[in-house]
Parts: sequence; C-alpha cells; structure tokens
Amino acid sequence: MHIERKEEYYVKLILHDLGEAFAELLTRKSDHMINANGKYAPCQGCFSCWTKHPAECFMKDELQQACRRLGQADELIIITKNLYGGYSTPVKNVLDRAIGTSTPFSTYRGRQMHHTLRYGRKGLWKVIVYGDITEDERTTFTYLAERNAVNEGYERSEAVFLDDIARLEAVL
Amino acid sequence: MKTLFINGSPKKRFCASSYFLFLQRLFVGGDKVTEHLRTRGDYQRILDQLPGADAVVFGVPLYVDGIPSHVMGFMEEMERSCREKGLHPRVYAIANNGFIEGKQNEPLMQLMENFCRRAGLTWGGGVGIGGGVMLNVTRILYFVQVGMLILNLLFNGISTGDFLPVGPLQSFLKNVLWLLYLNLGVLFYLIRMGRAVRKREEAGKRYTRILVPSFIFILFADVFFIILSFLEGGMFRGWLAKKVPDR
Ligand SMILES: Cc1cc2nc3c(=O)[nH]c(=O)nc-3n(C[C@H](O)[C@H](O)[C@H](O)COP(=O)(O)O)c2cc1C
Repeated sequence: MHIERKEEYYVKLILHDLGEAFAELLTRKSDHMINANGKYAPCQGCFSCWTKHPAECFMKDELQQACRRLGQADELIIITKNLYGGYSTPVKNVLDRAIGTSTPFSTYRGRQMHHTLRYGRKGLWKVIVYGDITEDERTTFTYLAERNAVNEGYERSEAVFLDDIARLEAVL
Repeated sequence: MKTLFINGSPKKRFCASSYFLFLQRLFVGGDKVTEHLRTRGDYQRILDQLPGADAVVFGVPLYVDGIPSHVMGFMEEMERSCREKGLHPRVYAIANNGFIEGKQNEPLMQLMENFCRRAGLTWGGGVGIGGGVMLNVTRILYFVQVGMLILNLLFNGISTGDFLPVGPLQSFLKNVLWLLYLNLGVLFYLIRMGRAVRKREEAGKRYTRILVPSFIFILFADVFFIILSFLEGGMFRGWLAKKVPDR
C-alpha cells in the first residue's frame, strides 16, 4: 500500500483486534487500518529499528514498516479488547513492533525523559476498549492512554469504554 | 518454599531483567527456579513450574508504557492455568525501563495488580527501576575493572616484583565503589523486597533509578546510541528521516 501524505489533510489510522468484523465500517471511518490479528512475531528488543535500518523492523512480515504507517497518521484510534486494563496481546504486539516512530535521541516531554519524534507531534491518541472491565482496569487504561500520548508525542488522549461493541460506530 | 523467577525480556542474552533478577535471587532463600520467557514456545514449560511455587517474581522490561506483548500472552495463559489447578502464588514484579524515571513503570505495576485480581492471585508489590540499560552496563564495567586489575597486578608483579601495588588497588576500589553507588537505590529496594518475598509478604510498590542527574543520563544515552548507530550503520541509512512505507 502506498501512502501519500498531504499536509493539509488529517490522516486517521485505526489499529484494531476485531478481525474481519466491522471491516466495512472501519474502512469507511479511516484512511488506513492495521489489523492486529495475533499472527505476528513479538518484538525482540534489539533496537535495530533505530540503529541498523531506521524505521524498519528486521523481521520481514506485515509489521516490518508498521511504524512508518503510524508515522503518517495524525490521529490514531486503537480498538482493543480489555486485558487487565491494557491492550489485548495482538494490539500490544503491534505497538511494541512500532517504536521506530521515535528516534534513539532523548528529550524532555511533560518534565520526563522521552525520545524525540521521527514524525513530529501528533493529534489524538484514542482508545476504544470493549469487553468485560472492572473499575480499577478503567482507571489503569485511562492512565495508560495518557502516558502513551505523552510518550508518543500526541497532543491528547481519550479512552472510551464500550459495554456493547455494537455501539462502535457511535464512538468512531 | 519454591520461588519461580520469570525473566520476561525477549533478548537472548545480556538483558537488564536478568541482572536485576540475579540481584533479587541473592536476597531470597529456599528453592529457586529461574525461567526465561522469550516466545510462545516457552509458555508451557513455565506453566509447568507453577504448581508448588508459592511466589512468582516477574522481571520485565517496560515496553510502550506497559508489559511486552509476549508476557501479556503468557499472563492470559497463567490466569487460565492457575484457575484450573487452583493455584494461588503471590506475585511480585521487578520492572526496568530505558528512561531514567523509575516511576514510568507505574502503568506496568497496575497491569500486574489487575492481573492478580483477575487470576485470584495475591499481588505482592514490586520495584520499578529507571535507567535499566545503563545499570546493566555497570555490571560489564565491574568485570572490566576486575580484569584490568588482574592484568595490572600481573604486569606490575613481573616487572617490579611487587604483586600488591597500592596505586592500581586504590583506583580499582574507587571505580568499584562508583559502580556500587550507581546501583545503591536498586540494591536497597531489592533487599527490602527480598525480605518480603522470603516471608511471602506484601512489599508495596517502590520506584528507584540509576543515581545520576537526568541531564547527564540523557547525554550518556545519546552518545550510546550515536556509537551504536555508527557501528551498525543506521546513521548512514536515513537515521532520523521521516521514512514512508515502501508498500
Ligand atoms: C519495544 C520497546 C518499547 C520500549 N518502551 C519503553 C518505554 O515506553 N519507556 C521506557 O522507559 N523504556 C522503554 N523501552 C526500553 C526498555 O524498557 C529498556 O531497554 C529495558 O532496559 C530493557 O530491558 P531488558 O534488557 O531486560 O529487555 C522499550 C524498549 C523496547 C524494545
């Protein structure tokens, strides 16, 4: 897939673990989509996406250039099943494989140390969480989304909790 | 009294998690088993170690403000396994992260705590350690210092007949004390947690870091990545460029 970035255009990327369900809706509502299907290898922690072949994973699968896709987006919408107040394993797999969105250099953001951004500041980090969830897990997820937004250089974060995934369209 | 230590770093060797687990094991007695959780292929072997373990200590790196995906996958399986077999070990966590603030491990600790509630396990608390990569480097530097001292003593002994010269011994001691100083916060909290693990008690959540000012840490981290990117060639392949997808 070739992605051309038009400066004046606001690009929306959806990362989800819904499989083929809602495919038509998700396509309609996004410019690009990453389907976290749970079939990818997890990150090996080698940092070669910074130090050897920048913005590219050494593993040659569909996630090899996932960070570049994330880099093209102004808004990221993550649709994920709740797991202990965090992302489902397949969604987390994609996030772990995409740290090439930043560079190896460090800076301060929100008075703490973070990496400088390969693709500059972004807009919204939005998380739509479905599945059974406790009050503590909601608190954790809201906090996690805030932390992710700061770490990844997004202006703001939003966490939406869906009791019924059928209501997805209303929150997209 | 079996304690199961699970190293959740995907790296084959030289991971910071293994360094902190090594230190933690020093302060925990009884029967100790350590397993390395790198891929799905490791799940079953480690699940088989759960029966009989009344404490489990996870050593995990912080990935994108949370737990690495292969460890989350394992925790799902562990929840299932503990429910099926009626297992209730106490769970502790030693998290380490690249940035200097240990406090950045807080979401990870909350995830662990929520996992324990879901799986019917008792959360024992944890230690979050900032500057994990650099602390891990101090362990190599320690061995480098020992090696250099031995060589120094040998050369000196052969050339002058004095096998215990004061100068090299003093500089060795000074350097080792420096390395120890950088690790003091970690040692303090791991000793405390070790005591709690021994007694199967709640340790609370504690955060610590390598003991250097953060602007100096950032300088070192930048130099570290500049050298690495030079050696691995990334510096010459559009190091900081906004690359677009090829496909
Ligand atoms: C995919 C990935 C994501 C990471 N995310 C973070 C992060 O959000 N915050 C942080 O401080 N360090 C982060 N790090 C750095 C690691 O936590 C750090 O390198 C740690 O020392 C690795 O421990 P290990 O050697 O035991 O694997 C990340 C590293 C990788 C590979």
